[in-house]
Amino acid sequence: MDEPQKIMATALRAPLCSRLIPSLKSYSLSSASPQALHFNLLSKPLSLSSPHASSKLRKRASLTLVFSLQKLSETQAFPVSGEEGEFLGKFPSDSGVYAVFDKDSHLQFIGISRSIAASVAAHKKALPELCFSVKFGVVDDPDRAALTNAWKSWMEERISSVGKVPPGNESGNTTWVRRPRQKPDLRLTPGRHVQLTVPLEELIDQLVKENEVVVFIKGSRSSPLCGFSQRVVGILNEAGVDYESVDVLDEEYNSGLRETLKMYSNWPTFPQVFVKGELVGGADILSSMADNGSLAQLFRR
Amino acid sequence: MASRANAMLSRASRMKQKLQTALEASVLEIEDVSYQHAGHAGVKGDATETHFNVKIVSPKFEGQSLVKRHRLVYDLLTEELQSGLHALSIVAKTPQEVGRS
Repeated sequence: MDEPQKIMATALRAPLCSRLIPSLKSYSLSSASPQALHFNLLSKPLSLSSPHASSKLRKRASLTLVFSLQKLSETQAFPVSGEEGEFLGKFPSDSGVYAVFDKDSHLQFIGISRSIAASVAAHKKALPELCFSVKFGVVDDPDRAALTNAWKSWMEERISSVGKVPPGNESGNTTWVRRPRQKPDLRLTPGRHVQLTVPLEELIDQLVKENEVVVFIKGSRSSPLCGFSQRVVGILNEAGVDYESVDVLDEEYNSGLRETLKMYSNWPTFPQVFVKGELVGGADILSSMADNGSLAQLFRR
Repeated sequence: MASRANAMLSRASRMKQKLQTALEASVLEIEDVSYQHAGHAGVKGDATETHFNVKIVSPKFEGQSLVKRHRLVYDLLTEELQSGLHALSIVAKTPQEVGRS
């Protein structure tokens, strides 16, 4: 990868805003004319020549996007004074890309938002000293891909002109983004077709004993697939507890887990929450513990 | 009890039968909320009689942690859980606890 691409790839790993975080793993840029940008977008690191690539993925992979977003350098900047009600008139509540400048007109951060006005207001409140003027570009038909592409075009323009990413967009910088990226879910096995040398039950036992808090949920912690699992993840996130999560619906890495775990814990449903190696219960129990304060006690060392 | 006769009853009725006597419940409310979960992961095909809300007030819960109380209920409903019952929202209280509120 050449320099701009390397920088871009790093920027892509940094979260854009607390509400929208693109999960693009890799991309490549070919040719760039001012208005038409060609992207090869891969949402998973999947080789297109692999027999498993569906035609849908192949179609998505080479996308030509022509949109009417103005260049960053040619967009007007609006001062942000922080007065009450200012945001209502001056900034749109639409989705799009925005760029924040400090009092010396240095570009600090480029973000995307489902509501530009709301994001600008939030930034001004949280970081008044860094938020002096804002440029924005509304994106029509703002699906996640369109928004991310708009962000990319401004980011690339910036990188081409100064050779680096705005300070707020550097990987690991959480000044502008409230929540850092979530921990990945744990996998019990290396894969479905790998022979286990240790029975699954023992793997479960090790897991819950080696980690203080473990939750077995339906879906991933970033997108649970059931209301009860979602509730448990929500409660733990809010409590600020450090926990490990395991997706019981993952047939590739956790095949057979559902049945084995039901027997192991003598508990027939999911989610299941383990603390210090012991089953604490499911969503109901965790909810009532959160309500009556016993949850805080449980996690206090 | 003849299992054939049982099969004619709805799941809710079967659950009531199994829980009522075993727990000497003074309050036993069972509500089928399967429609709320139709189409969510793990519910294959028919989404009827899969998710229930259960409220029980029973002296047998005395001195038992929440986990133990729920386990008691689950154990009584093993057959249902093996035949399509997916999830239960359980409220399990003792008569004293209800009296206090």
